[in-house]
Amino acid sequence: MKVAVVVQRYGPAINGGAELHARYVAEHLARHAEVEVWTTCATDYVTWRNELQAGEDRVNKVVVRRFPVKHERDPLTFGRLSERVFHQPHSIADELDWLEAEGPTSPALVAHITKHAGEFDFCIFFSYRYYHAFHGARAAGTKAILVPTAERDPAAGLSIFAPIFRGVRALMYNSPEERTMIQALAHNEQVPSVVVGIGSEVPPNPQPQRFRQKYGIRGPFAIYVGRIDENKGCRDLFRHFDSYLRNGAGKLTLVLIGNSILDIPKHPRIRHLGFVDDSDKFDGIAAADVLIMPSFFESLSMVALEAWALGKPVLANAKCDVLKGQCIRSNAGLYYDSTAEFVETLRALEFNKWVAGSLGKNGRQYYRDNYDWPVIERKYLDMLERLSKEPASGGFEPLPGWMERRKESCPPAADAVAATPSGPSTAPEMTLPRPTGPVSPPLPKRAPVPERHDPPKGRPHQGRPQQSAPHRNQGHRGRRPSGRSTGASR
Amino acid sequence: MPDFNVRSDAVNVEQIMEQIRARIREKRGVDYTDAEIRELASVKLEKFLDPRGVRSDLLEQFRKSQPPYAPPELPNFAFEDQTLFESTRGPLRFIRRLLLPILKLFFNPNPLIKALNIQSKLNASLAEREAKRDAARYAFDQLYYEVMHNLVLETTRLGIEVKNLKMRIESLASRLEFNERRARALESAVVYKPSGEEKTGRSEETRREERRDDRRDEPRRQDGRRQERQDRQERGERQDRGDRQDRQDRSDRSEPSRPAPPAAAPAAPAATAVAPPDAESPASDASQAGTSTEGPGQRSRRRRRRRGRRGSGSAAAIMGGAAGSADGGPDNGGEGEDAGDDTDASDTDVTPDTTSAPAAPAAQPAVAVTDAPVADTAAVPDVRVTRPEPFEHAFGAQAHPAESAASDPAQPAPAPESTSAQGSDTPAPAGSDPASTPEP
Repeated sequence: MKVAVVVQRYGPAINGGAELHARYVAEHLARHAEVEVWTTCATDYVTWRNELQAGEDRVNKVVVRRFPVKHERDPLTFGRLSERVFHQPHSIADELDWLEAEGPTSPALVAHITKHAGEFDFCIFFSYRYYHAFHGARAAGTKAILVPTAERDPAAGLSIFAPIFRGVRALMYNSPEERTMIQALAHNEQVPSVVVGIGSEVPPNPQPQRFRQKYGIRGPFAIYVGRIDENKGCRDLFRHFDSYLRNGAGKLTLVLIGNSILDIPKHPRIRHLGFVDDSDKFDGIAAADVLIMPSFFESLSMVALEAWALGKPVLANAKCDVLKGQCIRSNAGLYYDSTAEFVETLRALEFNKWVAGSLGKNGRQYYRDNYDWPVIERKYLDMLERLSKEPASGGFEPLPGWMERRKESCPPAADAVAATPSGPSTAPEMTLPRPTGPVSPPLPKRAPVPERHDPPKGRPHQGRPQQSAPHRNQGHRGRRPSGRSTGASR
Repeated sequence: MPDFNVRSDAVNVEQIMEQIRARIREKRGVDYTDAEIRELASVKLEKFLDPRGVRSDLLEQFRKSQPPYAPPELPNFAFEDQTLFESTRGPLRFIRRLLLPILKLFFNPNPLIKALNIQSKLNASLAEREAKRDAARYAFDQLYYEVMHNLVLETTRLGIEVKNLKMRIESLASRLEFNERRARALESAVVYKPSGEEKTGRSEETRREERRDDRRDEPRRQDGRRQERQDRQERGERQDRGDRQDRQDRSDRSEPSRPAPPAAAPAAPAATAVAPPDAESPASDASQAGTSTEGPGQRSRRRRRRRGRRGSGSAAAIMGGAAGSADGGPDNGGEGEDAGDDTDASDTDVTPDTTSAPAAPAAQPAVAVTDAPVADTAAVPDVRVTRPEPFEHAFGAQAHPAESAASDPAQPAPAPESTSAQGSDTPAPAGSDPASTPEP
C-alpha cells in the first residue's frame, strides 16, 4: 500500500500540533505501508517563508518531498480578508482570496498531487484550512482522506470547506466534538469517519527527580506546556493563578514550558523554563502534580494526552469543548469556567491526593484505551482497508462559476460556527479492542497494573500497606499512599 | 480543604465539579459568573446621591439644547382686489384691465377675491396668535426647566443630607451602645470608692470619737496602771525581767512604727488628703516618704501585710468581739484591768481594721494607747479607702465573702465568727505582745 501524507510543514524541529500529528502518523504508518510526505519548504506558519530546500528529503526514514511556496503571507491582507469572511456577508470569491492570503500557496505542490496522486492508494491531508488541503484534496479526488484538525474557530464555517468535508473519501477526526461540529456544518454524515486522535511518544521511564534537580524546583507544582500566548489562554491562566496565590493555602508553583510571546508575571511561584527538549518535557510532566490546559480552542491536546499517559490529572479550560469532553469521558481531569472554579479545582487537586491519583489513573487507562499507538495504528489501518474495499463514490462538488462565486450569498463564518451545536460530548468513545498481536514494532514494556486488593471489610487498615500495595502505587511515583493523602487533606 | 464525598475508585468528574460548584455557591452566596460580577462591580451605587453626578448647569444645558425662540414663518398671501390682475409688465397689466369687463361676462370674480382677501387676513391673525402662544409657552418652558433644575438640586441635596444624617445616627447609635457597654463593664468592675470629703468627714468623726473614748477610758486605764504597779511591786523579782521585756517591747513597738508607714502607704494619696494638719507625726512623714521612695520589695511586703491584716482584721474583730463579750461589750465600762495587756495588744493590732469597720467601736479606745496615736488614727481610715491591688479589684467582688468587707467599705463588716479560724491563725505582729502597753 502506498500512502502520501500531505501537510503544510514537515520536519523534526517543527512542533506545531497538526504538523507533529502528521509526522507521527507518517512514521507509524511507514511501518505498514510505503509512505511519502509531500509538503512545502516553509517552517514558519506565520510567514510561510521558504526556508528548507525544495526537493526530496528523508526524515526518520520517511521520504519527504518539499515544494516551494509561491508567496509569503501578507498579514494586512490576511487580516482584512479574515475580518470580511468571518464577520460579514461575503462571496465565495472572498473566501478563495482569504485562502490564498492565508497560504501556504504552493501551486507546485498541488500540481505534484494532481500528477502523482494516481500512483498512491491514498493521500492523507492534514489541516483542512490551508491552501494545500483545499486544492490538494480536489486534485487527489477520490484518494483524499482528510484529518481536519478543526477547532471551533470561524474558519470552519467558511462555505468553501463544506464541499471538501463532503467530498473526501474519509475523515479522521480527533474528537467527537470535532465530528459533531463538522457534521453540523457540512452535513457529511455519509462520509466514512472515525475518531482517531493521536498517540504520543511517551517515554516509559520518565525521571521526575532529574527534572527537579536540573531546574531547581522544589515542592508541588502545576505545569503548562505549550506556546505561552494569549490565544492559548495564558493571560487568563496568569490571572487565575494570581487569584489562587492570593487565596493563600495553596503551595503549588506554576511551571511554564515553551516559548513565550506574552509577558509572564514576575512572581517567585511562577517559573518559566523556556523551550525544553522532549525528555525534559516528559520528566517535567511526570514531576508535576497537575497539568493545566488553558487553551480555548483545541481539536486535540497532545499535551493533555501525554499527561494522562504519565498518570497525571489535567485541569482544562471548560470553554474548550474538546478538552472538557475529554475530561468528562476519561474521568481524568477537572475543568474550570471562571476564576473561582480554577482556584477551587486546583486546590481540590492539590489537597485531595486521592482524587488526583484516581484521576491520573483514569487518565492513564483512557490513554491506553484510546490513544496508545497500537490503537491509533489499528484505526488508521482499518479505515484504509475499509476504503480500499469500498468503491469510491461521489467526489467533490465543482466550484461555482465566475458569476456565482461573486454573489455575496455566504453568511459570516463566525455566525455559521456559532449556530452549530456546542458543548462536550459525554457519550463514551467507541474503543476498539486492544490489538492482541503487535500492530507496530513492539513498544517498551509497561509495568503491568495489578488488580486492586481491597482490605477485608470490617478491618481497619493497619497503616503499613500489604505486600501488593507498593505495586499498586507504583504508577504514582513519589506519591503518598491514598489513605494518607486523604488524611492530609483534612 | 474538606475532602470530597467520592469514595470509590470510579471517580466521577462531573460529580466532583458539582461539589466544587456547590462549594463556590456556598462561598459566594449566589452563583454569579465573572462577567456578571464585573458588570455588578461597574455599576455605580447610588449615583443619584453622588454630588459629582449632579449637573449644576442643568438649566444652561436646557437652554443650549433649545435654540432661542423665533416665531415661525407661516406661509401667507396678501390678496387684494387688484391682486389677480397685477403683473410686473405694464402692457400686460393694461391689457388685463382692458379685458376685465369681458372676463366679468363669464363669471363674477368679486366674491372669490373677497373670500381670498378674508382668508389672507385670517391667516395673518392666526399666525400672530400662534406666535404669541408659542412665545408664552417657551417662556413657561424656561420656568419649568428652572423649577425642575431647582428640584433636582434640592432633591440631591436632601438625599445627601439624609444620607449624612443616617450615618450620624448610626454613628451615635454605635457610640451610645459602646458607652452603655462601657458603663456596664465599669459597673461590674469598679468598686465603690468614697470621695475625699466623705473620707475626711469620716476620719475626723472617727478621731473625735476616739478622743472622746480616750478621755472616757482614761480613769480606767489609770486604775489598770495602778493595779499593774501594785502587781509589779508584789512580784519583785519579776520586775527587772518585766522591765527588760518592756524595753524590749518598746523596741519592738518602735518597730511597728516602721511598718506603720507602709501600712498607711497604700493610702498615701487618700491619707494626704485626709490627714489633719496636726497629724504631722513621724509616722505620717514616714508614710509620705514611703510613698515617694517605695520599692517593689516594699510594695510586696505591704501587700503581704495588708493581706495578713485583713485576715487578722477578722481575728481582731473576733478577739475584739470576744473581749467585748467577755468585758460585757464595748460600751461596757467595766472591762477587766487584768485583761489590760491582752486587750491592748489586740487593740493595737487590730486598730486599722477595727476602725475600718464602723461596727467595731470596742477597738477604738485602744488606738489612743498606741505610741503614735495620731498618725495611726490618721492612717486608720485610709485603710478603707486603700483600694486593693488590681488583681484584688478583679477578685474582690466575688472572690471570698470575707474579702468583700475589706474590699468594699460600703459593705458592712462581716460577722467576726465567720473568719475566726483565720483570725486566730494570723500572728499579731506587735500588739500581741503583752508588753506593748506603755509604761505608766
